[in-house]
Amino acid sequence: MTENIERHRYDVVVIGAGGAGLRAAIEARLAGKRTAIISKSLFGKAHTVMAEGGAAAAMGNVNPNDNWMVHFRDTMRGGKFLNNYRMAELHAKEAPDRIWELETYGALFDRTKDGKISQRNFGGHEYPRLAHVGDRTGLELIRTLQQKIVSLQQEDRAESGSYEARLRVFAECTITELLVDGGKIAGAFGYHRESGKLVLFETPAVILATGGVGKSYKVTSNSWEYTGDGHALALRAGASLINMEFLQFHPTGMVWPPSVRGILVTESVRGDGGVLKNTEGKRFMFDYVPDVFRTQYAETEDEADRWYTDPDNNKRPPELLPRDEVARAINAEVKAGRGTESGGVFLDIASRRPAEFILKRLPSMYHQFKELADVDITTQPMEIGPTCHYVMGGVEVDADSAATTRVSGLFAAGEVSGGMHGSNRLGGNSLSDLLVFGKRAGEYAAGYVDGLGASRPKVSKANVDAAAETVLGPLERTGGENPYELWHELQTVMQDLVGIIRRKHELEESLKRLADLRERIANVGATGGRLYNPGWHLALDLRNMLIVSECTARAALQREESRGGHTREDFPAMNPTWRKINLVCALEGDDVKLAAQPVPSMPPRLLALFDRSEMAKYLTVEELAELDSVVAGNNVVAERAVN
Amino acid sequence: MARSITMQVARYRPDREAEPTMQSYDVPLRKDWAILDGLNHIKDELDGTLSYRWSCRMGICGSCGMTVNGEPKLTCATFLTDYAPGPVRVEPLRNFPVVRDLVVDIGDFMAKLSVVQPWIIRKDEETPDGEYLQTPAELEDYKQFSMCINCMLCYSACPIYGLNEHFLGPAAIALAQRYNLDSRDQGSADRMDALSASTGVWDCTYVGECSTACPKNVDPAGAIQRYKLTAATETLKSFLMPRGGR
Repeated sequence: MTENIERHRYDVVVIGAGGAGLRAAIEARLAGKRTAIISKSLFGKAHTVMAEGGAAAAMGNVNPNDNWMVHFRDTMRGGKFLNNYRMAELHAKEAPDRIWELETYGALFDRTKDGKISQRNFGGHEYPRLAHVGDRTGLELIRTLQQKIVSLQQEDRAESGSYEARLRVFAECTITELLVDGGKIAGAFGYHRESGKLVLFETPAVILATGGVGKSYKVTSNSWEYTGDGHALALRAGASLINMEFLQFHPTGMVWPPSVRGILVTESVRGDGGVLKNTEGKRFMFDYVPDVFRTQYAETEDEADRWYTDPDNNKRPPELLPRDEVARAINAEVKAGRGTESGGVFLDIASRRPAEFILKRLPSMYHQFKELADVDITTQPMEIGPTCHYVMGGVEVDADSAATTRVSGLFAAGEVSGGMHGSNRLGGNSLSDLLVFGKRAGEYAAGYVDGLGASRPKVSKANVDAAAETVLGPLERTGGENPYELWHELQTVMQDLVGIIRRKHELEESLKRLADLRERIANVGATGGRLYNPGWHLALDLRNMLIVSECTARAALQREESRGGHTREDFPAMNPTWRKINLVCALEGDDVKLAAQPVPSMPPRLLALFDRSEMAKYLTVEELAELDSVVAGNNVVAERAVN
Repeated sequence: MARSITMQVARYRPDREAEPTMQSYDVPLRKDWAILDGLNHIKDELDGTLSYRWSCRMGICGSCGMTVNGEPKLTCATFLTDYAPGPVRVEPLRNFPVVRDLVVDIGDFMAKLSVVQPWIIRKDEETPDGEYLQTPAELEDYKQFSMCINCMLCYSACPIYGLNEHFLGPAAIALAQRYNLDSRDQGSADRMDALSASTGVWDCTYVGECSTACPKNVDPAGAIQRYKLTAATETLKSFLMPRGGR
């Protein structure tokens, strides 16, 4: 290497500047650590801005019956009990504090009449629970965290004379490799998107907060940044991914016009009274309530409609089932020939709520449809269909510390981490997830650095040279493959063969095609130099998308059941034996290897929050017997205590 | 309707070229295509080296601002058919240095953010148990100024900023007002020096182009006018009560 590589030294490097990354960086800085934030896009433009509905936190402002235990139950049910129970527990307990804290930073929230933070209904949540501002909650969250960072920088300037003394944002910078020294993080290597110059961060602690993987699909609500970078960085550094077969297809994405296909239509439309209808005008969700949810959802339209004003005495409308159920139902309606020409169904709020209500509650949706589709949602139904929205799978972490289990000094928070949401995420649990675990990752990364003392891992020159060679490869290759063509082929494979409904032979086919693509991506080329060159950037993102796609396809082939965001046509039912298993992906050489690993079992204190009859739908016979003996044991202990 | 439209796109690599050139591309003219769809078509199908910023496609991230036929626009929310039969000219946002092609350097705005202290400032030390209370009416007072997506269209439209880069500018002043008018905030006095300085509100000659350009109806011009009144009152107070006016 002859190029002079820009070098920086930090205590903590946070990769990703969405909600999780910014919250993590704030915490690391508050713990006194010199912290860098690496942002692939401009500062403040991260994918979190697109979150619409709100942040779920059991504050009980609207319904005082709400508390962390109810939220925990809803989250586990939504994830079909594959969740890491400890993450779900921490999340439910700490989300209210994180929201209140954000409020004191200056976040604006819609209010109840008595001035408290208002909360709205959302799919899978028993009570109104989502703190929100209209339908642009993600934007407010990012703006608030961004401005909190600016305020901390101003404090640092007052103290040291420099805004960037302890907290610096590297905008439009992409990390391509983590550098490891004997199983410990030593640094991160990448390039500046604007100048194309290479950059090396020497750091003992890296927090991955890179979000998801949706750009491997044709129809997605995700923006261009979502190429699975953090997932791939973790794998290449020696860490493991779990639950990669579980992708959330959000039931309501725009389907028309084609240029905006996939863009999200917030679940708040349904939370505020919108219903789904097929082309025959039938409100079809009543036909799709699965047995496990039968007792919690209304059976008639009258009861469902009464719930909006009297939730204590009526059951919820089935439009508010968890997202996986609604997406599958829409898919089935379209397949049965009751969908629109563009392959969608209708989401109707116009006939159910007055125009003023819609304009006040859903202003962004009104403008989105007016501007992008020339549809007036106060008078016309929207046309919607499933869109790839969120990856439940991600980096395997310790619940309390957000630390990866196989590489010291590597942490992950937000969408890039796995386990919290099990097989399916509830709407609203993402914004709260990234606040809760972003904070924890920052806190524990700072603690890890303290524990290292003066002996920090070292970056090796050979590793840096190899990373540089990989980055510059596409520019130096003449006659290489066109990155845009490869990307479209990858998207086609994933959309068509590893999509919302999966079949054995298609998954096998997908693995063959991904293997072909792997060879071709190794030969990808880019022309046009290093200055802000999108073709080159894509060429480098491709290898991340490929490896993550391979994890998804392999795990999807192996898991022979349907659960949450993984539906197998050839294994349509949930299987209690599979509930006990997480599929773990790791690299052996360049190859993705899968291993089965037990899901941590809930301790009795948490199991006690559920009815036995409900657990019977999810647990194996042996697990139930064990549960019964634990309960019996507890009773004996309790009786003795009384006696 | 014609089947295609010519897009004239500014190309510029400051490291290699003395000045920008315009390059023409024919793209499909479809009813549902935004300017951004045209640019994506060029990048994906015709010329993979074209550089521009975009992200969400839904008018919320504020990344895709450009100059379209001379006016600052969000390209994801501006339709090709509105410019038929064309050609339609796409250039980088004005008043900012160009990095390459349609990408501009907005570092100046990011630096100005800290000047207006966009966070809640409290004089009392105690933090609330839970949240600060705020009624819906109090929220309405400043909500409009909180809708900003930092897209920079207002800076690009502002003739004052074009002449004087030290001018605090529309979005930053609107942001200051978003906090000044927030019932939870007690920091308006702290923001006063920056807002009343020579580079603050008084630089503005109320051209109003910022509010015309704003895709989110934030009305920065209104925020500036409203603050001028506040500043004038405060100045008068400081004459009358030299020691206690603030």
